[in-house]
Amino acid sequence: MTRPEQAQEQARRSAELKRAEGRYAEATGAEALDDSILGGRAPAELLSEWAVIEIEPDLLYSTRRGGAPITALKRLLLRLMRQHLVELEARQTRFNLGLLAAFEQLERRVERLEGAAEATARRNE
Amino acid sequence: MTAVHQAVAGAGPYDAVSEQARAWRQLLSDAGYGGADYAGQVAPGTHGFESLAQLEPAPDDLIVIRYSAWSGALGRLLERPQRKLLVYHNITPPGYLWNHSPALAIQCAVGRIQLPAFARSARVVTADSDFNAGELHAAGADSVRVVPVLFEPGRLAALGRAPEGDGPLVLVVGRLVPNKRHDRVFSAFAAYQRECEPDARLLCVGPALNPPYAALMQTLADASGARNVRLAGGLAQDEVNAAYAEADVLLTLSEHEGFCVPLLEAFHFGVPVVAAPAGAVPGVAGQAALYTDGDAAVTAELIDLAVTDAELREELERRGGERLEHFAYERTAQAVRDAVGEALA
Repeated sequence: MTRPEQAQEQARRSAELKRAEGRYAEATGAEALDDSILGGRAPAELLSEWAVIEIEPDLLYSTRRGGAPITALKRLLLRLMRQHLVELEARQTRFNLGLLAAFEQLERRVERLEGAAEATARRNE
Repeated sequence: MTAVHQAVAGAGPYDAVSEQARAWRQLLSDAGYGGADYAGQVAPGTHGFESLAQLEPAPDDLIVIRYSAWSGALGRLLERPQRKLLVYHNITPPGYLWNHSPALAIQCAVGRIQLPAFARSARVVTADSDFNAGELHAAGADSVRVVPVLFEPGRLAALGRAPEGDGPLVLVVGRLVPNKRHDRVFSAFAAYQRECEPDARLLCVGPALNPPYAALMQTLADASGARNVRLAGGLAQDEVNAAYAEADVLLTLSEHEGFCVPLLEAFHFGVPVVAAPAGAVPGVAGQAALYTDGDAAVTAELIDLAVTDAELREELERRGGERLEHFAYERTAQAVRDAVGEALA
């Protein structure tokens, strides 16, 4: 019998043997969800994607039982309000992109200053 | 009669926090306490909760705050003079949610920032696992009582309609949310099906974060190449029970867990558990689960062992029984009564 404590080691050995035979070729360990945002800081590319606000009709729904008519009504309202919402999206996006640009400028400036400070410190050594 | 009210950010028909509030309410009623349960938001189909805006506690009442996400209504409770008892159920790190549900990510981000304030405001601070107690200590709480989830096996008795099909059944129970890593489940199950058991079935029970995330998971499941995969959404308790009764393995590859009630449910049904040793899982399951190192092939081999090695299954069932004794209802009920008694003293 395999003891529970030994199971992982046994499973690993078995997987290695099968891999040596060319099996488990598709179980590469590659992961489908975007690891770049799991727990860490979102990269600049993703931030700029998030900065652009665009209300998607797919995100309007009702989870109530028999909620299909409510979903349809919400999406109709969205269409009717489209002109106003586009204006709101644009204003919010303008602010977000402005802030992001200012942040990136600030980051570059900090990098330059840090580089200069390090160079000064090396010269003084 | 002293009233003990419970408050949660959001209540739903299936989620573990609402289930715990209901279990505590029963216990509190049996112990002679009055009071009611309130939520900042009540999802359709949820019973037993009133709007938090309607909470009007008397000066001597106790407010039990169940903390798993921030809400403005919950935050305003801190200004009230009544005694408070904090139950920390854990808050999902927002990094898991920014890309899939920004609104919930904000609730979680603010919730984590506000955790020290909630801990400071409470007379008694409790966590339902050692893992969660560790987070409370890190947030500055000095004294934390560990009061496990109140596990009431009675609700697991009724058996509904069993899942269709033959072949070993791999069961996953938990909401479809990013930290549960269903993407890894699909990879591991596809590997198991290809290499070990072509007729195997995968049943994922639990409501999705939102419809777009449900669609994403369905796409990933299809892309994995696995067959016989069913994403069932939220099921009635008797159908979940029937799934456990038929399951050959409970698989949980979650990356962040505050407790993981399905572990105890699997032990109750004698179902072997294959798990990733993350968050509170090792503390709850102890040596009664098979732990994977995250490699999909290793997970597949562990599932195969759990399905085919009868003696291993027997040993895991025995150990699962011991874990259930550790989390026995009366033992936890006494811990709940002690915590409430201390908060009211």
